[in-house]
Amino acid sequence: MPCSRTYVADAYLDALTGQLAQHRDLTEVPETADLCKGLDDDLDVPVLSEVHRQLVGEGSHRRLVYSVKFGNCEDDAVKFLDGYAANLVIIEKLPSGVFADPFELQHFVERKVFLDVAVFGDTNLELPSALSNRSAVEIHFDFKPSTTMDCNLVVELPLHARYPPLDSSGYATVEFGSPDLLLHYRKKDTHPDSCIWVSKNLDAEPVDKAVWRVPCGNGAHAGFVSSLTFISALVCSMSVVLAASLIS
Amino acid sequence: MAATTTTLRWRVMAASAALRVALVAYGEWQDAHLEVRYTDVDYLVFSDAAASVAAGGSPFARATYRYSPLLAFLLLPNSLLHPAWGKLIFSAADLLVGLFIDTILRLRGVPEKTRIWSVVAWLFNPFTFTIGTRGNCEPIVCAAVLWVLICLMKGQVLQAAFWYGLIVHFRIYPIIYAVPFVIVLGKNYAGPAGRPILTQWSSKQQLQSDKTSENVEEPTSLLASLWIFLSSLITRNTILFGLFSGSMFFGWTGVFFYLYGWDFLNEALLYHLTRTDPRHNFSIYFYHIYLHHQQGFSSIQKLASFLPQLMVQLALILRFSRDLPFCLFLQTVAFVAFNKVMTAQYFVWFFCLLPLILPWTRMKLRWKGLACMLVWMGSQLHWLMWAYLLEFKGRNVFVQLWVAGLVFLAANTFVMIMVIRHHKYTQLFSVSTKSRSKVAAKKE
Repeated sequence: MPCSRTYVADAYLDALTGQLAQHRDLTEVPETADLCKGLDDDLDVPVLSEVHRQLVGEGSHRRLVYSVKFGNCEDDAVKFLDGYAANLVIIEKLPSGVFADPFELQHFVERKVFLDVAVFGDTNLELPSALSNRSAVEIHFDFKPSTTMDCNLVVELPLHARYPPLDSSGYATVEFGSPDLLLHYRKKDTHPDSCIWVSKNLDAEPVDKAVWRVPCGNGAHAGFVSSLTFISALVCSMSVVLAASLIS
Repeated sequence: MAATTTTLRWRVMAASAALRVALVAYGEWQDAHLEVRYTDVDYLVFSDAAASVAAGGSPFARATYRYSPLLAFLLLPNSLLHPAWGKLIFSAADLLVGLFIDTILRLRGVPEKTRIWSVVAWLFNPFTFTIGTRGNCEPIVCAAVLWVLICLMKGQVLQAAFWYGLIVHFRIYPIIYAVPFVIVLGKNYAGPAGRPILTQWSSKQQLQSDKTSENVEEPTSLLASLWIFLSSLITRNTILFGLFSGSMFFGWTGVFFYLYGWDFLNEALLYHLTRTDPRHNFSIYFYHIYLHHQQGFSSIQKLASFLPQLMVQLALILRFSRDLPFCLFLQTVAFVAFNKVMTAQYFVWFFCLLPLILPWTRMKLRWKGLACMLVWMGSQLHWLMWAYLLEFKGRNVFVQLWVAGLVFLAANTFVMIMVIRHHKYTQLFSVSTKSRSKVAAKKE
């Protein structure tokens, strides 16, 4: 894809409910087909050996931690990075009930934790689940020699839970699907007019399920909560009115 | 002695300024080096909105910017000069509030030593010095409200109206002060020389008795009382104040509607009037709102949540409006306590008015004053404990958190009643020179 387009997901994400289109080699993408012919012939692109993803933390603010290992990285990665600039691209389609704060993630870019990040879809930070839509996050992580020398990239994505719909069990369960991992690379020192990124799907195996239990309200409480709330407000307001009236 | 207390006053101001500059500097360091920011999230919102304006766009391009565009304009130097500009402005407003408190109390004849303690109650209140230095804009609103009060005390009605209309456009909640302002601007506002006469502070413990002196004749019926009351409100000053402040409000609103359209109206005005947030906050209504957020609210439910607030506001206005600072303080505490959403930043709205009533309270710090502080802070900490378990430990403690909200409302009610019962009711404006002579004679 052309260097002028920064993100992969905006071209392929289908209203956040569909599946991300399989990223085959970019030679199959019509708009850049001619430019890409022969680009990745005889190229030893680093191969993924292991991917782990874990939901870490407690409460309404947690982190998805990705651990990405590449095989034969000492030789292949160094040789590859001599001629190519590369980013690891993680696309996480967030389930309903969880959101990423784009402003928080931008802070990560400013602190150079991520190379770049974007949130697509519903970025409203305040609405409960029932009144909001899904979203997806695309993280670009720099594939530098220093990180590949020990062959293990660790990426942390902070996430926040929305207020879930009511449930008598007291907890809502949010399950994450598998992320999409891509290697985004281009030749170093390319002319801007012919600059294109190649996005190669790393064909990651499905990761372990990540499940988030979020406390939720119980509809059975509605009656007594509403009554007691209004009665308390009335009693307190009448107390103040009485105190004001009785002062001579 | 006078030189000593004047030096002390300037030392207090200098120490407050130094504290705020140090906190702003510390905040910059913490933001750059630690995971958890010192700066309030709202400040980042204001800064982004200002950057959008600087780039020729709308401040409402920034999600969750729900303020007047004036704030974004004020913070333009954030992107042109330094990101901490806004914090310095808010901290300066914070110091201005301290100066205004001193001015108001001096105009009312409060001795300097007592004034210093009242000013310290604002300048060294941890709630207040963190608010401005973290980048919250409430000190500006507080300064404007106190300035309106000073203008009214000096007889500058048009200037008071100018700032009042502007600040209601900026933040909306000061609209609750409209009726007491109109009441005090009524028939007995101006003295014989055309300027209001301020009732001076007295160290005596007995209540002043001139609160009823303006109605010399006994009303014959409720209707007659109502008529006398309403007709006393129709004066040149009340009409000027009402018309000019209203024009200011609608003028600014009109200008920004022309510039930014419905984005401005929805985000800066209508959002605040209709806000119902199901997420946990100090308000007793949060769980009720969450439990009904999927099906909406009936008209009866909406009215039921509005009624206690309305009753309290009316009662406080009708009973205390002539002791204007006291009325404004109680109204603000009640408004915050009975509101559908309550966050910690709202507390500064009444903290800036608290020092204005301290010289008139019979409540001593030991032990009733301390009891009020401990009850209020203790119930808040109790709420925060359950909120921490819900938000940071993921435990389902909604019911406990809601009960903690009820306890906090009870604590607010307790503090209000204690303050009312220990206050020396004193009209802000003396009724006439005849009544002043009576008061002077009583003092002797």
